Amino acid sequence: MIMIEALRGLTYYKGVPLWRHALVIQWALQIISGVIVVVLVTTFFTNITNTIQDREIPHGFSFLSREYQTPIGQHFLPYESSDSFLYAFGVAATNTIIVSVVGVILATALGIVVGVARISGNWLVSRTSLIYIEIFRNIPLLVQLFFWFYVVLALPPVRQGYVIADRIYINNAGLSLPWPSPSNWDAAWVWLAVALASIIAAMVLYHALTRRETLTGRASYPLVTGSVIAVAIAVAGWLFVSAAFGDAPFAISDPAPQGTFGRIAGGFTISGGLMALLAGLVIYTSSFIAEIVRAGIQSVGRGQTEAARSLGLAPMAALRHVTFPQALRVIIPPLISQCLNLTKNSSLAGAIGYSDLANVAKTMTQTAPAVSIYVLLAAAYLAMSLTYSLIGNIYNRSIRLVGN
Amino acid sequence: MFRKWLILAGLLMAISLVVIGCETVDTSALENEISERDAKIAELEAMVMDLEATGDMPAEMAGSRLQTVQDRGKLICASRNDVPGYGFLDDAGNNVGFDIDLCRAVAAAVLGDANAFEIRLITAAERGPTIQSGEVDLLVRTVTWTTSRDAQWGNYTQTMFYDGQGFMVQKDLGISSSLELKDATVCVTQGTTTELNLQDFSNQNDLNINALTFEDTDAVVAAYQSQQCDAFTNDRSQLAAISSAFEDRDAHVILPETISEEPLGPVVPHGDEQWFDIVKTVMAILIYSEAYSVTSDAVPTESTGDTKVDRLFGLEGSFGQETLGLSQTVAQDVIGSVGNYGEIYDRNLGPGGINLPREGGRNALWADAACSDCPKGGQIYSAPLR
Repeated sequence: MIMIEALRGLTYYKGVPLWRHALVIQWALQIISGVIVVVLVTTFFTNITNTIQDREIPHGFSFLSREYQTPIGQHFLPYESSDSFLYAFGVAATNTIIVSVVGVILATALGIVVGVARISGNWLVSRTSLIYIEIFRNIPLLVQLFFWFYVVLALPPVRQGYVIADRIYINNAGLSLPWPSPSNWDAAWVWLAVALASIIAAMVLYHALTRRETLTGRASYPLVTGSVIAVAIAVAGWLFVSAAFGDAPFAISDPAPQGTFGRIAGGFTISGGLMALLAGLVIYTSSFIAEIVRAGIQSVGRGQTEAARSLGLAPMAALRHVTFPQALRVIIPPLISQCLNLTKNSSLAGAIGYSDLANVAKTMTQTAPAVSIYVLLAAAYLAMSLTYSLIGNIYNRSIRLVGN
Repeated sequence: MFRKWLILAGLLMAISLVVIGCETVDTSALENEISERDAKIAELEAMVMDLEATGDMPAEMAGSRLQTVQDRGKLICASRNDVPGYGFLDDAGNNVGFDIDLCRAVAAAVLGDANAFEIRLITAAERGPTIQSGEVDLLVRTVTWTTSRDAQWGNYTQTMFYDGQGFMVQKDLGISSSLELKDATVCVTQGTTTELNLQDFSNQNDLNINALTFEDTDAVVAAYQSQQCDAFTNDRSQLAAISSAFEDRDAHVILPETISEEPLGPVVPHGDEQWFDIVKTVMAILIYSEAYSVTSDAVPTESTGDTKVDRLFGLEGSFGQETLGLSQTVAQDVIGSVGNYGEIYDRNLGPGGINLPREGGRNALWADAACSDCPKGGQIYSAPLR
């Protein structure tokens, strides 16, 4: 009898048996999942290290400081073949970051337009949007990329390409535009700093004036004042820097054909591969974003739209000021995943000749240990994705319902 | 009630997992090592007993690549199907070519059946990781032998074709030398020695060549044909092979300069010397049966009186078949089904294929020289079969 009482005392806590105690169950679940994770990770890691040892697969990171000595097709940072592997990796990563940033902006903009069009009252507009979404989201991205690759290839070759106003060149090697190029790097940096300061000043001013307008009800023209101040500071800065350095910080560089082959040099060239890649990524991703936007808007109660309309707001104004801000809470989290997808999907670029990170990394495996390269590659994409997630989550937090 | 039992079961599972987890952590490396060694000793003992019982040669050690291939019943080769002459789909949809025939020769040698093979199609850049991981038995995909590949990828067996890198351009550009490619954009396949050589060539001659890199040769060709790039660089034989399929072949010209050495041949994974030796021997069989003028339609099955021929075809003496774990008459299987080096060359790269000249070139047999010292023969040569 005493034994049983003792056992009861051990297995019961505050009158609840241990196996039904919330605290115990929660801890047990935590421990189980913890153990599973540890066992899995250890197994995978041991497996990898064993394989590397057994097969004598080369590894290590000492190659990073060696000269890369291999061409990189298009690069936005200056690159020469005598640069190190590490720098070349950075050059390639920049190529990917540019694709992903430009792609995310364009895809989001296009996605919102298509998504809003999808629920438009206009039959033609909403059907067109539906067809757009169903076509582009249901064809594999790689197939679409090849399609755009061949579209770009169908443009005339560089020597027979289109020339607009003697300074814009369109051909299958890419689109070349006049572009400001720093004529004096010191002056350029100083002016860029001034320009950044002017934008910050304008933003502070804008917020202050908006606040005044809201509090006092007096018209304060925040947008106009802010822009005028920004432009004024930037222009003043430009004149000052030009005078100080005896040289304008930037000059417009015009593209022009060069050499036997008439390849376009100077200006800024968006290569054919980049055009095809952006077209493919943006259109593919925008079809998913459009569906997210549609779902988000439709998730806002019908009463909200009706209330806004009855206050006299026009349909677009009701969408902009009432429905869309509320829909954002539903839209943002899946939108972040789509942006991550776009970034990761850009690794298909090698198929169509754009030197993105994955493409260059694969080339690197020729002269450097493949295992190390793939580890670096994974780390780089992870870092990019986590940064996007972080930015997205911060924004998401800023728009969530307060006090909820 | 059911819920209670479920939770109890869950708890039990948790505890057992914890115990297992602890064991994994607690077991010292030493204990592991001891048990591994015990296992190995047992394995070796079993093998010795096996040997004593059957009298088999150590060549058939368990876990060897040869054993794996024979147990599997087919040979797995990594290759391609996008370049005529080397590996290309014929009208019937079969993958045929020089590289494919080398794979078939090895299949015939180790399995007795030249059709017991499987081709894994890979891109140029995938070659290193594929052979490093050992997931294929043989890599025959126009692989250039370089010292760092030999060190990192696998063991390079035997040069079966001597190639060199060149450039192809459209004729109407009016270019007659690769040195005129100043500021040109050149299309190149990713992960090739070609890509690396291109940079060296550009630097040495101050040409400022811009490379356009694609994963697949098909995309490279498409970009070149639509003039997205001014020139297309590859091994010369591949340029010839690929352009042979162009509709406007005459509008293209391969420039005369050869800018690199590209010895091509099969590669085996690191870590199995027996397998390495087997593939080298099969290549030697192909080369020597051409040197001895034995073709697939006249494979000797009984003594011919010529000692060297008899040894090759297993009718007299040996060239190491049993040590390698090959059958005595391995050469009969190989030559009977695939043909000798000359036949393979003619069928794929010569008159029967993309028509690359061989006579008097580097890819003729060394044995064709008039005497053993005079350098008139080609460079196709292997370890003598003895």
